[in-house]
Formats: sequence, C-alpha cells, structure tokens
Amino acid sequence: MNLPKIDLSALPDLDTLTGMFGSLAGPLQAIESDDTIVIVMVMIYDIIHG
Amino acid sequence: MIVRPELEALRGDDTPQRQAQAALHAIYQGWRKAGPGQVLDAELARFGHGVLLEDLPLLSGMFDPADDTTLSVVADLISLILKQLEAEPLSQSPLRFSTNESHASVVLARQGDAALVVQAFDGASLAGRPKPASLAFPPTETFERVIAGSAQATVIKVMDQRRDGAELGFCETALQTGQVTRRLGNQAAQLLGNVQGVLLVLRLQRRLPDVGVTREYRLSDGALIHQAAGSSRDSRLELAAALLGKMGRDDAAPLLAAMAEERGSQSLRWQALRECLGLDTATGFAALCRVACRADDPLAVPAGALRAQLLETYPQLAGVNPCPA
Repeated sequence: MNLPKIDLSALPDLDTLTGMFGSLAGPLQAIESDDTIVIVMVMIYDIIHG
Repeated sequence: MIVRPELEALRGDDTPQRQAQAALHAIYQGWRKAGPGQVLDAELARFGHGVLLEDLPLLSGMFDPADDTTLSVVADLISLILKQLEAEPLSQSPLRFSTNESHASVVLARQGDAALVVQAFDGASLAGRPKPASLAFPPTETFERVIAGSAQATVIKVMDQRRDGAELGFCETALQTGQVTRRLGNQAAQLLGNVQGVLLVLRLQRRLPDVGVTREYRLSDGALIHQAAGSSRDSRLELAAALLGKMGRDDAAPLLAAMAEERGSQSLRWQALRECLGLDTATGFAALCRVACRADDPLAVPAGALRAQLLETYPQLAGVNPCPA
C-alpha cells in the first residue's frame, strides 16, 4: 500500500498542553512555600552541583 | 575582589580541599552505610514504593508527635557533618542543599521518588516577599513535622476540579512546634504566612502512584494557568520520543505505538502517537485507530478527531488495518 508521509507539524496538540516536569508559570513567587521546591530540587541538584 | 591566602594557595594546589572533601565523604558514608543511615534509606525506599508510613518504624517515629527520640537520628547526622565542616571549612556538605534569603533546604535522604528534607524558613525575609499569585498542586504526598518555631499558614484546598481550573477553598491554620500534618499535594497546598522567627520543618514526601500532572492554579479565581508533567520519567520519555522522531528512527515506530497505547500520562502518550505517525504512517495510524476505539480512554476523543481529519486528507489510510496479524 502506498501511504503518505505525514508531516508532524500538521498533527494537532492536545487542548491543554503539559510542560516539562518542574516547570511553573510563576516560579519566583510560588517556589517559596509550596511543595514543588522539594521534588524539583532533588532532580536539578545533580546538574548544578554534580 | 578579596581572595584570602588559603583560597589563593588552592589555585596552585587543591590537595587540602580534596583531602578535606574525602574525609567528610568517608565520615558521611560511614553513617549512611551502617546503623540508622542504612535503616533510613531502606525505609525511605519502601515508603517510595507505597508502603504505609505506620509500617516503617524509624520514619513513623519521626512523624509521631508523641515521639521525641527518633528525631535524634536527624540531629546526629547534621551534627556529624557540621562538626567536620567546622574542622575542615574547605569541605562541602555531601547532603544536597539549597538556600536563598528566605529559606534553606537540606535533603537528608532520597530514594527513588521519596525524599526526607529539613527546611528552615526565615520569617523576616518571608514577610518582605510578595504574595504568590499562583500555586502548584503536584501529585505528591507530604508529611510535615514542625521541629521548632511557629507560623500562620493558609491551606488551599481543591474543592472541585474543572477542565479549565478549580474551585479553591482557603483555610487559615496555625503551625506549632511538634505539630504533624499530612496532605496530598494534588488536593491541598500550604502557603506560609506570618512566621515568628525561624520555622524549622522536617518534611517527608513521595510521589503518588499513577502520578498524573502538576496543576498550577491562579489563587484569585482558580484558573488553570499551567500544567506540567507529574514525574521526571514522563518528561524524559517525551524528550526521547521527540528525539527518535527528529532522528527519523522509523525502527522505533512500534515502540512509540506501544507507548501511545499504554495507560499513563496523556501528554506523553499523545506525543508518542504524533511521533509514531510522523515516522511510520501505517504503524502510527493503526495505533491511532486502536486508541480512538477505546471507550474508557481519555485520549479516545482527540484520537477519533485526528483519525477523521487524517482520513479526510488521505483517503488511502482507510486501507490500514488497525489490528495487523
């Protein structure tokens, strides 16, 4: 069967996009007191201190 | 810039620093690999795999308001490191840490998706910071014990979740020394308000199974302003899928099709489906049809819409068998 090659850019995204793990819309404000700091910190530490 | 003579000397010969670091590392590993350190890591690993806190004697003791003795395990570890840092100021803490003007965090232990962290919040610095406009609700379970200090906090609960946001409920609460709290991060967040002096908190956290996503809501009206992957694994796999697509690795199409059909992150599955379609039309379209036919799959509707769109653009796709022998 001769099938077309589909261009990735023609394929839609889902209605609600999902960002990378740890990404925030308001990181500077929110990171002070919420739980994100812990789960993100244990991930990025190896990159900045490793 | 002032460079002290000890540091200046290290530019030519860093042996003293390496020796100090090795000494601290040896002392730390001695604690970690035997006795309470070993028990802590073993219990934390089990906690990360979903074992109930009450079935873990050491960890549950740390988060039992009536138990004052188990916390000495944490105190012993910190004293051990501080003592060595005092003797050898050129060494660096082997424990992961982060500091800024308002808070300091030290990761005491981490196993897989679970972490035990001690955090200190400085009331004066926190008071000078603007109130956050939004908060993230990650899919985590958190136990907290106030080791020292007191504070006012606001607990923000997700009362009802909508597609484009959530109805948030606000409840003022007081945190006091010895208090232990538990919350599910995707249902409730805590925002520290007025902290008297310094608040010292021990925090035990694990990612929830079937993690879902982290949602960030605007506090003023509950609008969903951001959504992020709930686990680093999902993001890692999504990046891998994108890379395979960019590399034109059509041999990976069956793997991407399988990823798209697994249960789990919708975003990851959708990206895998897109990359699969881009790499191998037949394999991708067959997977798309199978997903579209699942009654209980949240991706069935968007998959059905995409199938219809592709069939309209490329009628020859009607010949693709969704279930090849």
